[in-house]
Amino acid sequence: MSSLPRRIIKETQRLMQEPVPGINAIPDENNARYFHVIVTGPNDSPFEGGVFKLELFLPEDYPMSAPKVRFITKIYHPNIDRLGRICLDVLKDKWSPALQIRTILLSIQALLSAPNPDDPLANDVAELWKVNEAEAIKNAREWTQKYAVED
Amino acid sequence: MSADSDMEYSDNDCEYDDYYNSGEDCDVERLDPKKTDPEYFEFVCLTVEEVEKLLNESVEKLNTILEITPSLAKVLLLEHQWDNQVVVDKYRKDANALLITARIKPPNPLLSIPDPLAPSTSKDAVVFGTSSSVSRSSSCSNDDSPRNALISLGICNTYNTVAPGGGIISQRCQMCPVCASSQMGDKFFSLSCGHAFCKDCWSTFFDTQIFQGISTQIGCMAPMCNVRVPEDLVLTLVTRPVMRDKYQQFAFKDYVKSHPQLRFCPGPNCQIIVRSPEVCAKRVICTSCHTSFCFKCGMDYHAPTDCVVIKKWLTKCADDSETANYISANTKDCPKCHICIEKNGGCNHMLCFNCKHDFCWMCLGDWKTHGSEYYECSRYKDNPNIANESVHVQAREALKKYLHYYERWENHSKSLQLEQQTIDRLRDRINEKVMKGRGTWIDWQYLFNAAALLAKCRYTLQYTYPYAYFMESGSRKDLFEYQQAQLEAEIENLSWKIERAETTDLGDLENQMDIAEKRRTTLLKDFFPVDF
Repeated sequence: MSSLPRRIIKETQRLMQEPVPGINAIPDENNARYFHVIVTGPNDSPFEGGVFKLELFLPEDYPMSAPKVRFITKIYHPNIDRLGRICLDVLKDKWSPALQIRTILLSIQALLSAPNPDDPLANDVAELWKVNEAEAIKNAREWTQKYAVED
Repeated sequence: MSADSDMEYSDNDCEYDDYYNSGEDCDVERLDPKKTDPEYFEFVCLTVEEVEKLLNESVEKLNTILEITPSLAKVLLLEHQWDNQVVVDKYRKDANALLITARIKPPNPLLSIPDPLAPSTSKDAVVFGTSSSVSRSSSCSNDDSPRNALISLGICNTYNTVAPGGGIISQRCQMCPVCASSQMGDKFFSLSCGHAFCKDCWSTFFDTQIFQGISTQIGCMAPMCNVRVPEDLVLTLVTRPVMRDKYQQFAFKDYVKSHPQLRFCPGPNCQIIVRSPEVCAKRVICTSCHTSFCFKCGMDYHAPTDCVVIKKWLTKCADDSETANYISANTKDCPKCHICIEKNGGCNHMLCFNCKHDFCWMCLGDWKTHGSEYYECSRYKDNPNIANESVHVQAREALKKYLHYYERWENHSKSLQLEQQTIDRLRDRINEKVMKGRGTWIDWQYLFNAAALLAKCRYTLQYTYPYAYFMESGSRKDLFEYQQAQLEAEIENLSWKIERAETTDLGDLENQMDIAEKRRTTLLKDFFPVDF
């Protein structure tokens, strides 16, 4: 593999030196393009108190194409499916080479605060979120307690 | 229009008659084909070079009138269906608004230059060192006069390195927010939105976009910025010939697709572009590959059905046919609750899972009445189904209706595919006749004309079925189906006569051809939408 682009080095340094509150991204020892990410559930959201593990990979043509991000921790969310894949515009058609790892992770954190059931990835979750929001939020809380809280 | 009035110009209104009337006398009573032929359509087949020339003429015309670059002219024409007059009018009325809608200028120059990063991470900008230079270049968007604004933004001239009118920046090192490397200011390029990125990042970005087939729609690299990158910046920065060619090919495709008078010929590997001043659902036959298609939608020609309906029909066929056929072949409705039941075993004693009714699959009669005479099922008449108006019965009725039309559509389509074989058989038969001394090769040629006409009529007949399917019941549908039936009858007569033509006496067959074609034109005249 070719040497690491300056852009990635810079971003990594900054992520380590000035981490974003509630977000922790550490590059893998053996692969500087693979990041172990931890996002804490935002306050006042059903994911509050949860610690969510994600993986983030910078493809060869990054930043011309978006990073690949996936939840490893199970999460009950209309825009995140059972495999942890995320439906988020900035990871797809709205990606811009001027966006960064930290902006993407912030967007993901924001998605936890503001689920969008009108653009669903997990259909059953989105359906319930629309029909019975209270019930859906209750499920999300339960899943958070069950999968994202370490005893 | 009555059948009688059609007869008056029967000698001149169809191309098959022209074969016989190609002598001098045919122009005696020539009628305007625009009025007599419902399928008449004027078009020309152009090569890529010819179309390029045509588009360039439009571009040059706009350049001259508005004194703008060809690159900008192309964007404006692309966005306005190549209507020079509309562009000129809009430009004169409010150039600024025009440039904003064409995505040449950002909607709000000041607000459109946020830090490219999320607001909460504004500190990031410092790392990459962009914020100062970006906001600097944005200051020049405040010019009130749109023309001046344009020139000062470098749109009329060249794509400016980032500091329009500010020499300071180009002297200074700055950091590109994409590659994070520091470079001299003159290595930076930006659009009217002022988002500056280095030359190398722009060109890598263009390569990536072109690779994905994007050309005229490439936008600024900054997040949420939708300012478009016009052709001249792309061609300035993309240097690899392969990518430049690709870009130009894709852009050409976009230009042709946005031009209402132009259509790519859908024929495989055909390079021809068809041009017609009228955008209507008429038949085009490519002069190069002979593909026949509808000018408006580019699909197979479909008179008398219109583009929207045929699309609906084809989608329906694609979605439903297999399912529908299966349902029809393998299911029946429960005689009691009318739920649709699939028979999944050999036994004909059915127990409805829904209402628990026991019945016979064969006769749909109550199973209790089946004693030893089970296999005879003489109780067929007992089926009480018909009068019932349950949802399932209705669904089955709808299915029956669809299948009625679908079967006919499909049947004529298959007949058409067999057309070539018919013609081959004709050729063999004619050879045989000629060998036996019964007429000359020339004498028998009329049979080929007859076969061609048969194909043409059958094609129209095939496309009457989707039309009828979507028609509302009423007198108009009655008339349509009457004419359709007439056409079908004459087509079958013609087919019969072609198959059995034993003499070179063409009077009878010619008469039959004339009638069939007349039925076809009458139907088209009455029902083929002539939309502009």
